[in-house]
Amino acid sequence: MSQPVTQDRSQAKKEVRRIKNLPTVPGIVAKISRMVENPETSAAEVGRLISQDQVLSAKVLRMANSAFFGMSRKISSISQALVILGFDVVKGLVLTSSVFDMIQKSMAGLWEHSIGCAAASGAVATLLGRDDAEEILVAGLLHDLGKVVLALNLPEEMKLVQKKVASGPVLFHEAECELLDFDHCDLGQWLAEHWNLPESLAEPMRLHHRPEKAVLKPECVAIVHVADVIVRAKGFGNAGDVLVPPISMAAWEALRLRKTDFLPILEILEPKLASLCDLTSID
Amino acid sequence: MKRIALDKAQPGQILAEKLTRHDGVLLANQGSEVTEGLLRMLARQNIETIVIEEADGRSPEEVLAGYRSFLASLEARFVRVEGQPVLMALKKTMIFLAEKERDEALALLSPPEPEPQSAENASQD
Repeated sequence: MSQPVTQDRSQAKKEVRRIKNLPTVPGIVAKISRMVENPETSAAEVGRLISQDQVLSAKVLRMANSAFFGMSRKISSISQALVILGFDVVKGLVLTSSVFDMIQKSMAGLWEHSIGCAAASGAVATLLGRDDAEEILVAGLLHDLGKVVLALNLPEEMKLVQKKVASGPVLFHEAECELLDFDHCDLGQWLAEHWNLPESLAEPMRLHHRPEKAVLKPECVAIVHVADVIVRAKGFGNAGDVLVPPISMAAWEALRLRKTDFLPILEILEPKLASLCDLTSID
Repeated sequence: MKRIALDKAQPGQILAEKLTRHDGVLLANQGSEVTEGLLRMLARQNIETIVIEEADGRSPEEVLAGYRSFLASLEARFVRVEGQPVLMALKKTMIFLAEKERDEALALLSPPEPEPQSAENASQD
């Protein structure tokens, strides 16, 4: 049996880097990233590229028309989605659609946790009146990608963590910190680097358990952190344990949220969660 | 709640979601009662499905048992954060909403009680 518990953090990082089969970046996502680097690229060209993959486009449109965004008008094409939701959001939905099978395969309930956290991120952002609510929602959708890497690429380590979680009221993240020298936040960061994801998506993946460390978009990370707590409180999906984790008071205070804000947040969230059950399979 | 095809809708059902036309114009509010007139109007607006409140076939005892098991699972989920006032506020809010849902489910199950006054009048007649 391989030695799963590594003492030295940098050693652990090296070992993770050595995983030959770190999930490959979905081809379309790499192509879009390359296109975007070219300032000459127009939204219409990106739209055409995505539209070429009909299965992918259908999944993206299904999410664009879901309760996530609460659109009163149906979005019927990728180019329309690009205009209404913006480039970054559509790119996030393309990425999510491309990794959907991977998330589904990794852990039972993780997809539901992800869409729940996305909806909760959107609900908090809406309550705070943010005009980037859609971007924050996408960050919530992808925040736990590191767990997918742990489940699919480090199955021995995953088993150890799950065994620890099953032994008592232990949080998944606590078990990772105790048993491994890396956690799903590190894994998410490594995946983001490997895939050249923008820092606006990498930061919440890396810091949703330490939101006070965020630099680029601290409020976005703080919202995803609070949303993660709320969706776990709801018991929607499964993030690896069945517990509500402590909330970062720094994040809470930075957002200037009040205890009375939970009621409107939950009132926005509940009907969305009910409708999002449709998204539990997006094929 | 349940999404149903418009041609399966029955007068007396309650809309669980507001209905808007494709251009965003409000057709009917959440909580409105479905009437023959509303159904005709929705058909003219090419609305294909609506979301209605449903009595989910549970008996009052089952509704109450569901509420109690929700409370128990809530306690279990919050076991690690009992000392955090912010999260206690979240828990309290969730209990408030669950009580509301329980009471609404019970109300949907039993037809409204006749007013005590009119019941008395009836017995006197």
